[in-house]
Amino acid sequence: MPKKELETANRPDNTAFTQQRLPAWQPMLSAGIVIPGFVLIGLAFIGIGVALFITSRNITVLEMDYTGVETSSDCFKCSAGTIPNCLCNLYFTLNDTFPGQVYFYYGLTNYFQSHRKFGVSVDAYQLSGDTYYFTNPLNVCAPYQFVNGSIPIVPCGLSANSMFNDTFKLYQLVNVSKPVPLDGRGIAWWSDYNVKYRNPTTTPLKNAFNGTIKPPCWPKPAYELDLTDPSNNGLVNQDFLVWMRRAALPNFRKLYRRITGPDYASGLPPGNYTIEIAYNYPTMIFNGRKKVVLSNVSWMGGKNDFLGVAYLVVGSLCVVMSIVMLIVYATFKFPEDG
Amino acid sequence: MPKEEVTTSPGSDVTWEVRANKRHFHRHQRRRSFLCFRWGRYADNVVRSFKYSPLTFLPLTLYEQFQRAANLYFLLIVVMQCVPIISSIPWYTTIIPLFIVLSVRGIKDLANDLARRRSDTQINRRCCDVLISQSIHSMACLPSCLSFSQSQWKDVCVGDVLRIHKDQIIPADLLLLCSSEPHSLCYVETMDIDGETNLKYRQALAATHTEMTSDPVEPILDAFDGVVFCEEPNSRLYSFRGELHWRGERHHLDCGQILLRGTVLRNTDTAYGMAVYTGSDTKILRNVGRHRIKMTQIERVLNKVVIGIVLVLLLVSLLLAIGSGVFMGAVVPQIEVLSVIMSARSAVYTAFLTFWSYVILLSPAMPMSLYITFEMIHVIHSLFIGWDVEMRGGKEDSVPAQARNTSLNEELGQVGHLLSDKTGTLTQNHLLFRQCCIAGDVYGDTSVSAEETETLNLSWNPFSCGGLHLSDQRLVDRLRGQQCPDSRQFLTALALCHTVMAEWREGAPVYQAASPDEEALVGAARELGWVFLSRTRDSLTINELGLKRHYHLLSILDFTSQRRRMSVLVREPEGGLKLYCKGADLVILERLQKDCPHLESTERALDLFAQSSLRTLCIAERSVPEAKWKEWSQTLHQAVLATCDREDILERLYDDMESDLKLLGVTAIEDRLQNGVPQTILMLRQAGLKVWMLTGDKKETAVNIGYSCKLVDPDSRLLEGDELRELLQSPDEEVTFSKSSVAKLLCLAKEMAWDRSALVLTGPELAEFNNQPEWGARFMSIAGLCQSVLCCRVTPGQKADVVALIRKHTDSITMAIGDGANDVNMIKTAHIGVGLAGVEGGQAVLNADYTLAQFSFLQRLLLVHGRWSYRRISVFLHYFLYKTSSFALVHIWFGFFNGFSAQSLYENWFIVLYTVFYTSTPVQCLAIFEQDVSVESSLRWPDLYKVGLRHELFNPLLLAFTLLYAIYTSLVLFFVPLGVFHNSDMDFQTMAVTVNIASVFSATTEIVLLTRHWTKWNVIGIFVSVCMFFMCTLITQSRKFFEMSPVDYYFPGVAQNAFASPVVWLTSLLTACTAVLPSFTSHVLNIILNNPSRHRVHSVQREPVEMQQSGFTRGHSHRRSSYAMSQGRGLGRLITSGASLRSTAPPVDRGCLDDGPQGMTGLTQKPTRDDAPNNFT
Repeated sequence: MPKKELETANRPDNTAFTQQRLPAWQPMLSAGIVIPGFVLIGLAFIGIGVALFITSRNITVLEMDYTGVETSSDCFKCSAGTIPNCLCNLYFTLNDTFPGQVYFYYGLTNYFQSHRKFGVSVDAYQLSGDTYYFTNPLNVCAPYQFVNGSIPIVPCGLSANSMFNDTFKLYQLVNVSKPVPLDGRGIAWWSDYNVKYRNPTTTPLKNAFNGTIKPPCWPKPAYELDLTDPSNNGLVNQDFLVWMRRAALPNFRKLYRRITGPDYASGLPPGNYTIEIAYNYPTMIFNGRKKVVLSNVSWMGGKNDFLGVAYLVVGSLCVVMSIVMLIVYATFKFPEDG
Repeated sequence: MPKEEVTTSPGSDVTWEVRANKRHFHRHQRRRSFLCFRWGRYADNVVRSFKYSPLTFLPLTLYEQFQRAANLYFLLIVVMQCVPIISSIPWYTTIIPLFIVLSVRGIKDLANDLARRRSDTQINRRCCDVLISQSIHSMACLPSCLSFSQSQWKDVCVGDVLRIHKDQIIPADLLLLCSSEPHSLCYVETMDIDGETNLKYRQALAATHTEMTSDPVEPILDAFDGVVFCEEPNSRLYSFRGELHWRGERHHLDCGQILLRGTVLRNTDTAYGMAVYTGSDTKILRNVGRHRIKMTQIERVLNKVVIGIVLVLLLVSLLLAIGSGVFMGAVVPQIEVLSVIMSARSAVYTAFLTFWSYVILLSPAMPMSLYITFEMIHVIHSLFIGWDVEMRGGKEDSVPAQARNTSLNEELGQVGHLLSDKTGTLTQNHLLFRQCCIAGDVYGDTSVSAEETETLNLSWNPFSCGGLHLSDQRLVDRLRGQQCPDSRQFLTALALCHTVMAEWREGAPVYQAASPDEEALVGAARELGWVFLSRTRDSLTINELGLKRHYHLLSILDFTSQRRRMSVLVREPEGGLKLYCKGADLVILERLQKDCPHLESTERALDLFAQSSLRTLCIAERSVPEAKWKEWSQTLHQAVLATCDREDILERLYDDMESDLKLLGVTAIEDRLQNGVPQTILMLRQAGLKVWMLTGDKKETAVNIGYSCKLVDPDSRLLEGDELRELLQSPDEEVTFSKSSVAKLLCLAKEMAWDRSALVLTGPELAEFNNQPEWGARFMSIAGLCQSVLCCRVTPGQKADVVALIRKHTDSITMAIGDGANDVNMIKTAHIGVGLAGVEGGQAVLNADYTLAQFSFLQRLLLVHGRWSYRRISVFLHYFLYKTSSFALVHIWFGFFNGFSAQSLYENWFIVLYTVFYTSTPVQCLAIFEQDVSVESSLRWPDLYKVGLRHELFNPLLLAFTLLYAIYTSLVLFFVPLGVFHNSDMDFQTMAVTVNIASVFSATTEIVLLTRHWTKWNVIGIFVSVCMFFMCTLITQSRKFFEMSPVDYYFPGVAQNAFASPVVWLTSLLTACTAVLPSFTSHVLNIILNNPSRHRVHSVQREPVEMQQSGFTRGHSHRRSSYAMSQGRGLGRLITSGASLRSTAPPVDRGCLDDGPQGMTGLTQKPTRDDAPNNFT
């Protein structure tokens, strides 16, 4: 029965889909629904904004520039970059207790870590501990791929080479300088520490680096970054990981340490403090600034007034607009209905 | 036939030389072509409508496809992405989709082309009989071995002598040499060429006729060595000029001797002809037009916008590159670490590379998936059209509507001009005798449709073959009961007064008429017992209720368009002389005797018939005294011999005879329209379309159908002929032809309203447009004001010219609908071509973009499918451009914060998957399911269609708004997170994920705002795509994938970290809300401002579309009653000359043929216009 088959083939099912009669909901919105809806959205935003703003206000931040631009600054002497291993001090006074868990950041401005070259010039295989790439770094690392054209750099690439190498020590000045303990563990992401960056399994670690050379700007090779703690050494050094997590914008801060110790874990008591800075990283040449930042955090992270204000602005905008709409509605609608 | 010695060479314009039976001569000059080069003269008889050959397919298809700006752009992007130094996104993101797009399109085109090839082959393989000239091979060949051999059409060569059998299609333009009929007449049906259904006759030259009628004919034909000189091949169907040089004599040729390719031989056993034009030189193929690629207006706008966007992107890239150069020159040298990298390259070179990197980085603003999805949605919309059970027609609804070209759907929602063929499209080409009025009594009832008419019991009539759609037992009773002499006279008149030929087949008479109206009338008379049996040159035999009677035919007073009537003068068997006359009501009524009975009731009947859309003819008789006849016939004889003013004298004579008539009655014939045609046209007119009718048929018929199918309102006025010409000429040249000046002109000329008038244009008038280029614009501006335009007597080429005229002078979308080969050119030329899958169904359907089973399905096709498609696709394109631009343009702003280094803000996988997975399903659902109003409302308020006519939903301005909105969104998408991330310890990758979330949220919110019609699939689509985003993000940023390939999945763990951070969520939420705030506000404002009116549309009972009920007070002037006639000469003079009558036919001197009055044509249809719709409801 070919004819019959043909007919049935030509005749599709008379389904709701083929006839475009699927059951559907066509919302008939009216002004009575949308204007209150608009007000509600506005109010919700204002609510969130207020909460965020208050939270942000409660966060204490202490930000201090130590670039040494001003001659009065102790770090002025180092800013020229002429003195090797230059040390300088940054003094500050806390009148009130700096409450909560305090985090120690360093900050850079006008630093284009978001430049594409920083992102490209990285060998992910090498950083995940693949020793083949220790000797054969990817071409993308160039010009920080080989030294003298033959000795491979580990870790290769622009990003690694430019690693921030100022170090800080914090002292409370009570009669004598009392060092405030800084904890550098766990400042990097768990996934970076455990997944993205791995040391080669070779022991001792140093052997894995045989035949390679440190990045030109580094004072010491990667396997000597932290000789005290093997779990913080080599390619999984936390400072290294923090640096390698690129900032999005030219002004950024990166976590340096958490302040710990029995006396400081719940806040820095009032008093005089000094930060001893090993000033190595040159920023003056590109007009950049270096900062140290002390801050406590809330549920929303660091201090961020912008978000709360933005919520408030958008929320009020909604409310204002709904009032305008109400007026428009009243003008156009009621004369007609009335 | 002027005959001269061949002394002078033929005129300069008759340069086409064809030598009979000289194959080698023509073969030598066979036209050939290679690529674009052509040489040779004579085309072979092969139809080639395909465009690809194996060699040219690839280059041609690529050429066609890269005409799309987008494809070229994508190719450029692919090439650049393969250059590692500038590649900011991997190459495979573009090349795979590009390859898919190109190959899918290519395969689709190839499949269409193969289908065309198949149908070509079918035509080329048709068989015909060709006389293979033996004289070439051997002179010794006996005449008996000469014979016609069957060969295929494609082998026919110019100069070949062909034999055509009855009902065969003629394979090439032939010069008729002789035929089996007396005088070498033959009849052809030209329906495929001009849509006329009546038969035309062609007659061979006397010279060839007399030489070639001996038996056997083959040797003579074989020896025929005439040479034809004629015009170069052209597209003029109704003209032919040439000369036959044969045996030292020159014979003039005109189109009366030419059998055109595509016509069908009828009523003639065999005809012999010599091929003059073959293949692409033939007139019909010259009229076919070129196959062109159709592109919708939206696509053209989109194409322009794409070019615009690409240019803008290039410009932006250039600016960013300059920025990068400046950054390199001024900033980088100070950054120690960077300067080391850059030192090798100059700032200019870096800027150059950055430029290309940015071109690549910004390319997702114009993604390939837009085109893939666009194509997919087109296909689904086309499937919906095919699936629609309401658009199935034919027997048992077996013929579905079909979208053969799947890329024109949205244009269905914007059609401004609908150009329709008449025969077979608007009308069924079926004439039915529905009513009559005899002696003031109306018989028959048109309130029931023809199909529902109960059949009368006509078993008493042995000649009855059925097909009578007039059901009134009273009439039969009166006829048979001998009570009513008027009704018997009426039927006698019907059986006698005509020019129909009867042919006997299987014991029943089959009528061949030049006019379908006459056939219907004679057929009706047969059913009712007055059977026309046969005619000779001077007699008519009819069977009156079983009684055979011979009438002596004294004279036929033939039909002309001025006279609008015809009469026969007969001598009854009893010896009395009778004149039977039928004609238009006006001309008959003014010739009646004084105090004619039943005049008033007949007039009422005429009005009644007019309301029922029936064509009417008045039937009258007159008894002629013997003396009067004697005197008259003598005068007539003299008049015929007169040389000057013969026409006038004849006219006066005829007038004299056709006076003092006694009115017998009125016939009413229904020219059956296709189902629902008037309602459809009325609805389409309400929807704002201009519906034009283009037909090869006569003006009278066309006008009539125009009225009956509501193209023209009952009370509107027709502008035609000289009036129209005056209008086209009158305005001074300098004045621009604005609407107001036309209106003014019109007011001055006639007091009338433009919108109450229609234009009637004929083919010859249209031809004048070629010489008067400014007429086209004027005509279009007048036509724009009028209700409709009816073009009659137009050739297929002219139909296309009309379409081209509209396309040239307006920007409206044209749609052409037709069913026959004569509509092919128009179908190809129009933006959208619709073919009706009729009985014959060939050419039109093959070349059409859409095929429908019925004209009335246009309602649904345009008002429902077209409107929805337009809305869906407009919204789809706007949204798609919005979402892709807003997400890609973020890179511009990010450039300011990364040293213009072409750093991507997103992970590569997000760029790849964003348009494909994260935001595509909801918009696809919208483009498939969206319905702003239901089917019922769409059909109920045709006004809604005007949105598409005004291009309200998709135009450059709106697109510009969309793009501005996209730019705003991209600004928000970048700068709100910037505020949060500025000077914070959050890293680049977290920011990337935040912006990702925000852009997916804003795109999703936007589609939620746009969707008005929520099916479960829309909800699922949105849910799935958002889930997809989170899942894919988590997966591509998972540990497993990173370990698989650290370079490709370089965001390990970012998503887990970011999703756990409240700041990321709060930022995304704020960003997304701010991004869609303008759109949200405008939607809300829309609701507030438009809701009252929208509410009204939905709730208030508006007058639904109804057929206007015409008043019953229609005056006489509203009746349209006129003869429609065949274009060429009719059969009248052939009958009187006896030329066509095989049986009797003593060869008549040909001179007497030529002496006949010029317009002796005998066919009659009498249209009456009407418009009451009660027969549809």
